[in-house]
Amino acid sequence: MNESPRRLQDIQLWMQAVISHAGGIEHGIASAEARERIDVDEASVEDVILRSNALSAVDRLRVYGNAYYSRLIQCLREFFPALVHALGEELFDDFAFGYLQAYPSRSYTLARLPYRFVDYLAESRDEMHTEVAQGASPVDGEEQVLQTHWSDFVIDLARLEWAIDQVFDGPGVEGDKLLTVEPLRAISTEQWPTIRLVPVVCLRLLSFKYPVNDYYSRFRQDQKPSPPAPQETYLALTRRQYVVRRHPLTRPQFELLTALQNGSTLETAIAAAADCADDLDQLANQLQSWFQHWAAADLFASVAAEQ
Amino acid sequence: MMAPRLGHDNLGLGVGLRTPHYHHILQQQPQVDWFEIISENYMDSHGRPRHVLSQIAERYRIVMHGVSLSIGSTDPLDMDYLRKLKALAHSVQAKWVSDHLCWTGVATRNTHDLLPLPLNESTLDHVVGRIRIVQDVLERPLVLENPSSYVTFADSTLSEWEFLTRMANEADCGLLLDVNNVYVSSVNHDFDAVEFIRSVPHGRIVQIHLAGHTNLGTHCIDTHDGQVVDPVWELYRLAHQLTGGVSTLLEWDASIPPFPEVHAEVLKARRFMGEQLGPDPLVGSAPQKLDSAAAVPHPLHLVTPEVQ
Repeated sequence: MNESPRRLQDIQLWMQAVISHAGGIEHGIASAEARERIDVDEASVEDVILRSNALSAVDRLRVYGNAYYSRLIQCLREFFPALVHALGEELFDDFAFGYLQAYPSRSYTLARLPYRFVDYLAESRDEMHTEVAQGASPVDGEEQVLQTHWSDFVIDLARLEWAIDQVFDGPGVEGDKLLTVEPLRAISTEQWPTIRLVPVVCLRLLSFKYPVNDYYSRFRQDQKPSPPAPQETYLALTRRQYVVRRHPLTRPQFELLTALQNGSTLETAIAAAADCADDLDQLANQLQSWFQHWAAADLFASVAAEQ
Repeated sequence: MMAPRLGHDNLGLGVGLRTPHYHHILQQQPQVDWFEIISENYMDSHGRPRHVLSQIAERYRIVMHGVSLSIGSTDPLDMDYLRKLKALAHSVQAKWVSDHLCWTGVATRNTHDLLPLPLNESTLDHVVGRIRIVQDVLERPLVLENPSSYVTFADSTLSEWEFLTRMANEADCGLLLDVNNVYVSSVNHDFDAVEFIRSVPHGRIVQIHLAGHTNLGTHCIDTHDGQVVDPVWELYRLAHQLTGGVSTLLEWDASIPPFPEVHAEVLKARRFMGEQLGPDPLVGSAPQKLDSAAAVPHPLHLVTPEVQ
């Protein structure tokens, strides 16, 4: 070994820069980030990493280099299986590769590996359109639509899959006593405007520019769906008995639940629904059945009267 | 005098708990001596993984095995991580808590790989000091595993077994001897696996790991994707003799077969526990062979969501 041992921190910063370089081990060794820590080139890398009887130092480093991106890309594929189908594996991997460079993991858990993936896709809108223009789309017959809206569809689908994952392993209400239909029925007409319905902690409300929930269902049924035409859709995600449940919503339902989730009184929440309802009489007639359905689906934890 | 296995029981033959086996274990309640969990898969879980673990911990003995402690990193120890680790260990009444002699990242990054250290006096001081801190926080001895590795450093002055011995003695911690990793690293670094196993302090070995690997001819990769090969079983036989028997666990993380097949693989270990027994033809079902497919070390441990 060399006379004066290198600092452990320098070796670690050097090795991390080498094995995680997007251009491969040789580019990693030559990178400024690596040479700032240990100034060796490919010819002299054996001053740092010894060769074995069978492999050179570069070949040995390549085991780690090959593993770094392939294992984390595989991990991202498992988080976003429907998106992998939509993009095709090659294009998905391209985005995953870019994401890992832009947002390398800083968490002890792989569960948070994708936490900026949706943001990254949003930042990559231009690149997505270029990929489609170059014929990288895996689907047939939708090119015109996709060239205009491809990125919105991709981002919506990624948002859905990431939200499902978070609801699956996030805080839930299993074992809790939740608000049932009967107490709701017992609330007097006078009290209704001022009460606050408290949604369960695992309720996630999502609005999409594309019908990605339907796409996701068809993907899970192995129907190999093609990307759909744009259509505003709304969805509630929750969890019962440790399984994620999906409840498609209309826009008035979405606005109403969103207002409740934000702490509004029922009167304010219903007003939010009315603002986007086509037919107020119809809305009034539907409200009771909506709340009965949502209570039966365990969407509410409790009810609180206005203070 | 130090008690064998740092005073821990020999739990018998265990299996690494993996998501595809949840249903089988809950429904069939197989006769398994103990389960090892990947700590990070449960530390933050508020969903089904944690719920399943609670049910399994009511019936089976649990050992915790981590992949992100990064005991060798020059970044500060993550105290939030350690507190969560301690809370989980308390919650599932973990028999012990293990991780790897490695670093996983630096400058706040996590490569999610088990990266090797230059083995010298300076690194030894660094690692021993951090083990002591971890043990103070966890209020229990830490158990550290020898990882598979693919490079060695010009800055190393100690063999891996010298390093492990001094580390364990100076930090007063336990060892998890992964005999498959010993074999993989012996091929990759041209050392004698038997010398390794004879040299480590046997009284500090709390647990043994077994697993399959991929042999690419020029080197081996620790893929955890198949049966234990005969040379690894022979190392296990030696380790069993030298330790007097310690808790033994099989890891199977990629191309995971049904639970009974995984369990049957670890039960083969019984055939290597009799000192008078010669090689058993019934066991020699996985001779060493060369693989040509691309291989990635340390398969990742992910939980996939259940959704309707």
